[in-house]
Amino acid sequence: MIRTLMRYDWRNLSADRAPLAVAVVLGVAIAYGAFNGSEWIRFQNRAISEALAEEGERFDRIRNEIPKIESGEKTVSPFADPRQPQSFGRNMGTRYAVMPPAPLGALAIGQSDLYPYYFRVSTNSRETFLNNDEVENPVHLLTGRFDLAFVLLYLYPLVILAFSYNLVSSEKESGTLALTLSQPVSLRRLVMAKVLLRAAFVAALAVLLSAAGVIIGGTNLAAEGAWSRLLVWAAVTAMYGAFWFALAIAVNALGRGSATNAMTLAGAWLLFVIVIPSVLNVAIKALYPVPSRVELIQAIRVAGDESTRQGSKLLARYLEDHPELAPPSKGPGGPPDFGTLLVAVNEATERKVQPVLAEFDAQLANQQSMVDRLRYLSPAIVAQSAFNDLAGSSAHRYKHFLAGVDEYHRQWRGFFVPRILRKEKLNASDLARLPAFTFREEPTADVTGRAGVAFVGLLVAVVLAGIPAVMALRRYPVAG
Amino acid sequence: MVLRIAQKEITEMIRDGRFRAAGAIIFTLLAGALLLGWQHYREVSAQHSAAQRATREQWLGQGKKNPHSAAHYGIYAFKPKVPLTMVDRGTDPYTGVAVWLEAHKQNEFKYRPAQDATAVQRFGELTGATVLQLLVPLLIVLLAFNAFSGERELGTLRQLLSFGVSQQDLERGKALGVAAALGLLLVPAALIGVVALTAGSGQTDMIAAIPRMVWMTLGYLLYFGAFVGVSLAVSAWASSSRSSLIILLGFWMFNGLIAPRAASDIAKAVRPAPSAFQFARGIEKAMQGDGHDSASERTKRLEQGLLKKYNVDKIEALPINFMGARLQDSEDHGNEVFDQAYSRLWAVFDAQDGVHRLLSAAAPSLAVRSASMAFAGADFPQHAHFAKAAEEYRRSIQRVMNDDLMRNASNTGVYLAGGELWNKVQPFEYTAPDAGWVLSRQAPSLTILALWCAAAAMAAMWTARRVRVYLT
Repeated sequence: MIRTLMRYDWRNLSADRAPLAVAVVLGVAIAYGAFNGSEWIRFQNRAISEALAEEGERFDRIRNEIPKIESGEKTVSPFADPRQPQSFGRNMGTRYAVMPPAPLGALAIGQSDLYPYYFRVSTNSRETFLNNDEVENPVHLLTGRFDLAFVLLYLYPLVILAFSYNLVSSEKESGTLALTLSQPVSLRRLVMAKVLLRAAFVAALAVLLSAAGVIIGGTNLAAEGAWSRLLVWAAVTAMYGAFWFALAIAVNALGRGSATNAMTLAGAWLLFVIVIPSVLNVAIKALYPVPSRVELIQAIRVAGDESTRQGSKLLARYLEDHPELAPPSKGPGGPPDFGTLLVAVNEATERKVQPVLAEFDAQLANQQSMVDRLRYLSPAIVAQSAFNDLAGSSAHRYKHFLAGVDEYHRQWRGFFVPRILRKEKLNASDLARLPAFTFREEPTADVTGRAGVAFVGLLVAVVLAGIPAVMALRRYPVAG
Repeated sequence: MVLRIAQKEITEMIRDGRFRAAGAIIFTLLAGALLLGWQHYREVSAQHSAAQRATREQWLGQGKKNPHSAAHYGIYAFKPKVPLTMVDRGTDPYTGVAVWLEAHKQNEFKYRPAQDATAVQRFGELTGATVLQLLVPLLIVLLAFNAFSGERELGTLRQLLSFGVSQQDLERGKALGVAAALGLLLVPAALIGVVALTAGSGQTDMIAAIPRMVWMTLGYLLYFGAFVGVSLAVSAWASSSRSSLIILLGFWMFNGLIAPRAASDIAKAVRPAPSAFQFARGIEKAMQGDGHDSASERTKRLEQGLLKKYNVDKIEALPINFMGARLQDSEDHGNEVFDQAYSRLWAVFDAQDGVHRLLSAAAPSLAVRSASMAFAGADFPQHAHFAKAAEEYRRSIQRVMNDDLMRNASNTGVYLAGGELWNKVQPFEYTAPDAGWVLSRQAPSLTILALWCAAAAMAAMWTARRVRVYLT
């Protein structure tokens, strides 16, 4: 029976030119979104490869230079001597820590245009190299980008609503509802048939076109976890769509006319996609205000000034704490040089600034956990968080990257600081022993796990909208 | 007659529960957004002026030092907040808040506030501008979509015209009605804004804000006018209220959500900006002299020039300090490099904004957004204006330090300067550009809005004259 109903409904729909038009519009939007996303990935990859090429050239130059300096063929000032560990570790020999775009990166630009994706790690404090923002016209950051996630979050619900705002009401208005229900078919079955047909059409459009987008975007499906991420992406897309269908049925079940339904659903869309997110954003910022970066700048400066003033005292204390790093005392005593002092000053400054930085991290974590809890107020936020996670353009992945960078920073310092303190020059063989950064992708299970929670959240939203819809359909006034 | 029609429209709207509800929601959001904006403005500007004072004190209190060490220690410039950002924060969350002014280098601004926010921010911030650019037009659409089609469907259009009411009068009356309904909503909100502005800012800021506010208001009025015109035109032209609503919602959607994003991507594709890496690398290479005229060659040239000028044969015999001269020489070279690099980059951003302006012929939201954030003082050109002023200040610090070195340091011994020299550097004073400066840049946006408004009004008149009276 359902099949018969679906067949007739399809005839009805296809007599109209609307579905075709919608398919074309959605298709063009998805293709354009996927193309933009892949352009962004290409841009990032180009910047990364240029940076790594620069590092390679620099190292080649240093490798050539060291033997020449050692043999006395070339003379350089101590500041330009790559064998000096403080010069090498601070700027000459610094290396890049890179986070390449994730396998599905092209699908959602998300926060990735706001966060740096490579750093030039040095022995200096992390605050000196963490500000590696990409050059971008801020108007574009403000607007956001036209990527696949945008199409799915904003336009896809509208397509669903355009197909289903008059699901039952139009049949009632044209008088065919009573006629159809005089046959041995229940209203619920009829609605089911209509929804299934439309859902199949829209979901097929979204999933197939997204798949096409993945191909246009040049996604590497061989990458680890790409398929499972893609699968969860499709599931979240389908469930997000299901929510809007359920909402449309619920509104139809109230028994109002098509015009009222359209208004109500447009209002719901506005509420969930525009109003709730922007109000939530304001509420989060009011409840968990992040301390001012302006004050952070001041804190770092004050701590730095203080440490510089106490310079030599700090060095003495530092060496008491780390006697293993003390330079061989038999050697010529004398005032500590710039490099050794800097080590102690940096260490003291960082220790003083640590509480301020911790406050930033704590407030941001509070904000994030509030988003994680309250995002269920709007399925659009739930879907956005899942899309960003799956595409690797979320704050989670950035934090994961930062943790790796911090670890690398420690290793880098661990390599250079003892040599600086021991005033030990680097030689050619040390270059091969330098710590290197490798980005370890977040475990796929973590990512899909987080997105899975979002999926369940959407499922609950579908059920919450669906149950009253089905109940109300039972009382639907078929005539009059 | 026009007035009477308008009166009837207003009465009808006020009695309509849907309008009352939508109006109440929009008013609450607008008033809330303004108050939040006000609070944000107060907080941030207090922080910035405190920090600006602190950084000055640190500069003065840095003790005895070589002037070049002081130049390296430098000073911070914090971008001040202007009062109208309580209505429109513009690109402020996406540009850094502070820049470090040190020797040798024009630094980038640090800390974009948006980096300290969650991804929810990317759905858009609740500001006065969001409500005015996105939600008020939607309200206009809802008020006017069935202005003509509804009358036709009820059969009252026939009746009205049989009384001898002209279509144009009907059109004007309807437009006036919608405008009055909007006025009921927006005038109190604007008053709240003005009160917040008066309470929130000092007198000079206030006076500077008035002409900006007037132009901003004009921009919004033209924008709303365009929406009223388009809505009435579609309502008269469409075959039914339903199709009128669908067309108008489609236009709203395109105008407010699709066009801005599409415009960003088109602008990026047409006028691509360099990556941060390429930008920094270009500066680095130019500083090293790009193969020809390297730093050491320049030093040699300077040395020979000075020896010749003072007619001596070695650096030690110079009456000025060579180190100071060399530092200033390298600053001069650096300044050229930075000027070139930044003016090239900002020209790209300018060209991208030009693409947006071109596309605003298709979507007035692009023009009103640009005008709104410009008159609020939160667009990129004004950020660049501040960046230039900060850079000029940095250069003046370098000149004072290097001049002192040249004049007072010897070519052999250690030289330290103190508070007297630090005091010679004037405190950093920044005056934001006035409304005229903004207007000269925003004239195209306002013109486009005026054209939109005029074209929409004409379309409404034209379609009203040809409105179909009978249902087909």
